[in-house]
Amino acid sequence: MSDAAQAVADGCGAPAGSSRVTEAGNQAVVQGTVTQDGSPVSTGYARLLNSGGEFVAEVPLGADGGFQFFAASGDWKLRVLAPGGITAELDVTAAIGRISRVEVIV
Amino acid sequence: MSRSDVLVDADWVEAHKGDPGVVLVEVDEDTSAYDKGHIRGAVKIDWKKDLQDPVRRDFVDRAGFEALLSERGISNDDTVILYGGNNNWFAAYAYWYFRLYGHHKVKLLDGGRKKWELDSRELVTDVPSRAATNYQAKDQDTSIRAFRDEVVAAIGDKNLIDVRSPDEFAGRLLAPAHLPQEQAQRGGHVPTAKNVPWSKAAEEDGTFKSDDTLRALYSDAGVDFGRDTIAYCRIGERSAHTWFVFHELLGHPNVKNYDGSWTEYGSLVGVPIELGDGS
Repeated sequence: MSDAAQAVADGCGAPAGSSRVTEAGNQAVVQGTVTQDGSPVSTGYARLLNSGGEFVAEVPLGADGGFQFFAASGDWKLRVLAPGGITAELDVTAAIGRISRVEVIV
Repeated sequence: MSRSDVLVDADWVEAHKGDPGVVLVEVDEDTSAYDKGHIRGAVKIDWKKDLQDPVRRDFVDRAGFEALLSERGISNDDTVILYGGNNNWFAAYAYWYFRLYGHHKVKLLDGGRKKWELDSRELVTDVPSRAATNYQAKDQDTSIRAFRDEVVAAIGDKNLIDVRSPDEFAGRLLAPAHLPQEQAQRGGHVPTAKNVPWSKAAEEDGTFKSDDTLRALYSDAGVDFGRDTIAYCRIGERSAHTWFVFHELLGHPNVKNYDGSWTEYGSLVGVPIELGDGS
């Protein structure tokens, strides 16, 4: 896990998802958006879990339904919670120097 | 002590948020969250700007706390309902802080802001206007606040619970790179500390797990409930969440939150540090 993923887990910013990097640099970025019927889901949470399902970090979704994590290289699970009992879970593989995009449709 | 003494649910808040003598307070790290929408009638406390001394690393003093609560329109007799984002970390921190200065009529909204949002409950942008009060605080109750020397003395004696993530506990991570001012000089953990991440105490909607589940969680991690306990994390907010679990939900009397936490301990000269995932 990178510092920035930890930042979220740490409660040092829990940045809303609207602000997202466009270059990975030396980070393993996981980012994407959550949509429902083509519209962004702006109220909800994205949770990053490790491959064993243990909680790592959580961010509130941005106004555009966006989220972003700075992970480490490896396999992760992305879990989305939204009002109405909506949940979604997808596997994502992150790698240093790459932005791994996850489009979540609920 | 039962859960109803220290926790309220959203239905209770809906029913009582306008009652005289009940004050809702949102405490967030991201203060823009309150500005975008909050529970009707809630006032805001900024955990950093309002609760930390602007110069020294310490809390605002008793007079400062009195001035803050007086200005926010909170009186000594009010029941304060705290809630916030990040699974109530900073609300739990504020809860502990209110208790530190002797305010006992304080409760947490179980699940905090997240559950409120996930339940599609109303959020408003109107900022309430509350008449100023003349709040009188007590001296700090240091029976719930641990300082560095106590932590060193507790090694191998008291329960030390490190509630950070396994990577921080092991020393593979220090702190977020964008917050160098809060970074410790060394990674690792206090020797003999057990690593029980705060997140294991909460359901995914932010509510606390049942007492039985919580008791089993800490027992399985090797915590001896017959001993006094000190919880710590990086800056003391996640460990306030765990302090709440031990002291308020499970009713263990001798539990302290070490708010200096790893950013202090990991910068001390000469203290022992253990690396790795622990036993």
